[in-house]
Amino acid sequence: MRPDTYTVLIGGKAGEGVKKLAQVIAATGLQLGLHSFQMDDYQSLIKGGHNYSLVSFSPIVIHNAYHKADLIICLDELSYTQHLNDLADGGFIYYNSSEQTHQQGIGIELSKLMKEHYKNPSNPSLGGLAIFCAHLGLDNELMLRIIKISYKKNIEENLSFASQVYSLIQAQSKLPDAISQAPGLHLFSGNQCIGLGAWAAGLDTYFAYPMTPASSLLHFLASMSAKLGVKAIHAESELAAANMAVGAVVGGAKAAVGSSGGGFALMQEAFSLAGISEAPLLCVLSSRPGPATGVSTYTAQEDLLFALNQGHGEFSRIVASPDTMERAFSLATELLSLAWEFQIPVILLTEKHLSESAQSIRLPLGDACEATGLIHDALEPYNRYQITDSGISPMLFPPSEEIIKWNSHEHLESGLRTDQAAAMVAMKDKRDRKREHIALACARYPRIAVYGSGSRRIFAYGSTALEIREALQNLDDSYQLIVPIYLEPLPVDQLLPYTDSPALVIEHNSQPRFATFLKEKIGLETRQNILKYDGRAWDPLVLATKIKEAFDA
Amino acid sequence: MRNLDTPKANTWCPACGNFGILNAVKAGFKQLFDQGLDPAKLMITCGIGCHGKIFDYLNISGIYGLHGRAVATASGIKLANPELTVVSFGGDGDSLGEGLEHTLFAAKRNLDMTLILHNNGNYGLTTGQFSPLSPIGFRGLSTPQGSAEQPFDAIPLLLAAGASFVARSYSANPKHLAEILVKAVMHRGFSFIEVLQPCVSYNNTYQYYNSRIKMLDQIPSDVYEAMRLAKDKDHSYLGIYQAEKRDLFEDLSSGFANPVKESPAFRERIETLRTMYK
Ligand SMILES: Cc1ncc(C[n+]2csc(CCOP(=O)(O)OP(=O)(O)O)c2C)c(N)n1
Ligand code: SF4
Repeated sequence: MRPDTYTVLIGGKAGEGVKKLAQVIAATGLQLGLHSFQMDDYQSLIKGGHNYSLVSFSPIVIHNAYHKADLIICLDELSYTQHLNDLADGGFIYYNSSEQTHQQGIGIELSKLMKEHYKNPSNPSLGGLAIFCAHLGLDNELMLRIIKISYKKNIEENLSFASQVYSLIQAQSKLPDAISQAPGLHLFSGNQCIGLGAWAAGLDTYFAYPMTPASSLLHFLASMSAKLGVKAIHAESELAAANMAVGAVVGGAKAAVGSSGGGFALMQEAFSLAGISEAPLLCVLSSRPGPATGVSTYTAQEDLLFALNQGHGEFSRIVASPDTMERAFSLATELLSLAWEFQIPVILLTEKHLSESAQSIRLPLGDACEATGLIHDALEPYNRYQITDSGISPMLFPPSEEIIKWNSHEHLESGLRTDQAAAMVAMKDKRDRKREHIALACARYPRIAVYGSGSRRIFAYGSTALEIREALQNLDDSYQLIVPIYLEPLPVDQLLPYTDSPALVIEHNSQPRFATFLKEKIGLETRQNILKYDGRAWDPLVLATKIKEAFDA
Repeated sequence: MRNLDTPKANTWCPACGNFGILNAVKAGFKQLFDQGLDPAKLMITCGIGCHGKIFDYLNISGIYGLHGRAVATASGIKLANPELTVVSFGGDGDSLGEGLEHTLFAAKRNLDMTLILHNNGNYGLTTGQFSPLSPIGFRGLSTPQGSAEQPFDAIPLLLAAGASFVARSYSANPKHLAEILVKAVMHRGFSFIEVLQPCVSYNNTYQYYNSRIKMLDQIPSDVYEAMRLAKDKDHSYLGIYQAEKRDLFEDLSSGFANPVKESPAFRERIETLRTMYK
């Protein structure tokens, strides 16, 4: 069983700095040597409404945020009414008593104090930070240091406001004791891990059109462009992004695109272009509930079959989904490198829950691999689509005296267009010969993850594995979680040993799509499905109860 | 000197205006090579349509991309390695229909590249349907009673979008087109050339154009004058409508100036991350 966790819930209106405050609080825990997991629940609006963030701390690795909070900080009135029921036994709730007073909880006159300390209207989140620090008995000096590092504007006003709020509050709780000083832990969102992984492997250019929950990948890379040199281009549409990316590859750059389901649908033709022109392309698909516009800021796994069947026409692709933040980094490096090794489009499939949640991790830099392609050596005349045994034709990039012709039509070795029967067959066969080599190459990397060694078997993929692993920390060791990381090609041999008894399949879909996929591919019998399709991640404790019930029944 | 011919058999209809464009483009590129353009750094892209076949007839590197996306693909090449000279070929269906957004945005961005629009006033390859530039009443298989839409005017459209070099030429005047191409490629910024191109099979405009073509005396004094001349009822004016110096996207956008040439080695990347996240 897991040691104590401590969870903080912060609620407020959009624009009040809830998410930023959660990041600062999570980073504070990190400084104290605690592991943390942060999850943001926000709506598709800019000001007002209701946003909240959860940050769970633990002395050991924590894979998901808990939903019952030991400390609730309400920056506005709505947060109080919405979250009173989320208070854990023995927990504390703080609210803004300038707006209203309540019987239960501790009122702090946040709005009134803000007026006293700030010249211009500001957001109350600094008060939230002071509540957190004072309530948990953290040193005043520590708080002031954190404020200086984390909030660059209005430093003096922030310090005086926070100090006064701090002075009004008595220490009433304690964070769990750290086991070690956890060096090297940093807070990363899944999208940051993906971006850094792709960059580590060699990414030069990223093309996208904003669509939550993939937008934060564009934002992150754009914010890093000065430091890392990577070009992050916000194109006029997903069609533009994907075609520009193929162009960038032709120009010699390592390129990636990213979107959610709707935008990905618009990229399909270019995905097929990458297929026939053999352009290595990393595509990040971060799912939200669909269909169409769906629910922008929540999580889902509805795009599994869409990802597997992306594009029209026949061609090889790789689809894989990270089950941890660390894997998001290493998998992004693997996928960019496989794309370049085989000159194919690849999909990194993930969900809002991984893309936009943040966890304290160490970047697995040692697992990174480099993206390199087979490059033509200049002795013989060049043919872009030279017929080879492996199906892989050497690439060449400009400037070059050789003629390098890429083509969206079926083509001859030279890259000139053809519609002749024999030439068509030869080129399709060439591309198809890559298939077995792709499967072998994927075997270099972890293709499945197995957690635990119990006999009660659970299957899941993607960020659902985060929720389940945290749930399992609250159960005994009679469970085992099997996670396929590579979904196409699916490592059937590796999975078959786990199909000897009916399993519990857990996914964020209204229909058991992943379970059906497993049945089809590896003959897995399902003993029960746990389906969740309200866009929300599981509370690990609720999920733990469901899992136990599924096997006890 | 690079030989610009390929072994590919030409399948344009005899007397198609595309032949004039092909000849002019070859002559223009040769002049550019003489003036120092390195053929190794020249890249072309094209869309899908009769115009796109030019890709197969030019011994030049590049990509024969998707219908409507030639300009987006070209933009990607240029962003990856701004040292390259990128010329894109589009049809009126391609660049002002299916891919209108990319054409307008490329003009807006002012990436340093050239778009040659083969304006034949219809969709040639798909058997003569009306295009965004066909006049109202144009009869084709999809509009047997005549199209019910007003056409775009390519030049005013591109001027409004902010193209920094805008010109018009005629496929039956390859010498003029070659000269314009040279100027367009030399221009630093997004260059647009509308080439009036008769399609002998579906929209034979030779006589029409021959009777109304005139040369612009000079670059019009301002954009309104340019638009007025471009839309003139009686004459189709050939020449340069706009040639303006504007900031280049590749100079203003952040990140490496040349992502391909400056791309850090793998080890360097890992070391950077190691120091950033100690
Ligand atoms: C996505 C897509 N839609 C439709 C087509 C079919 N198509 C090929 S060329 C073309 C129109 C060509 O017209 P234009 O661009 O004016 O070129 P032209 O043949 O006149 O030179 C169409 C509709 C296609 N290839 N791809
Ligand atoms: S259909 Fe028209 S544009 Fe196409 S090749 Fe024939 S004449 Fe030229």
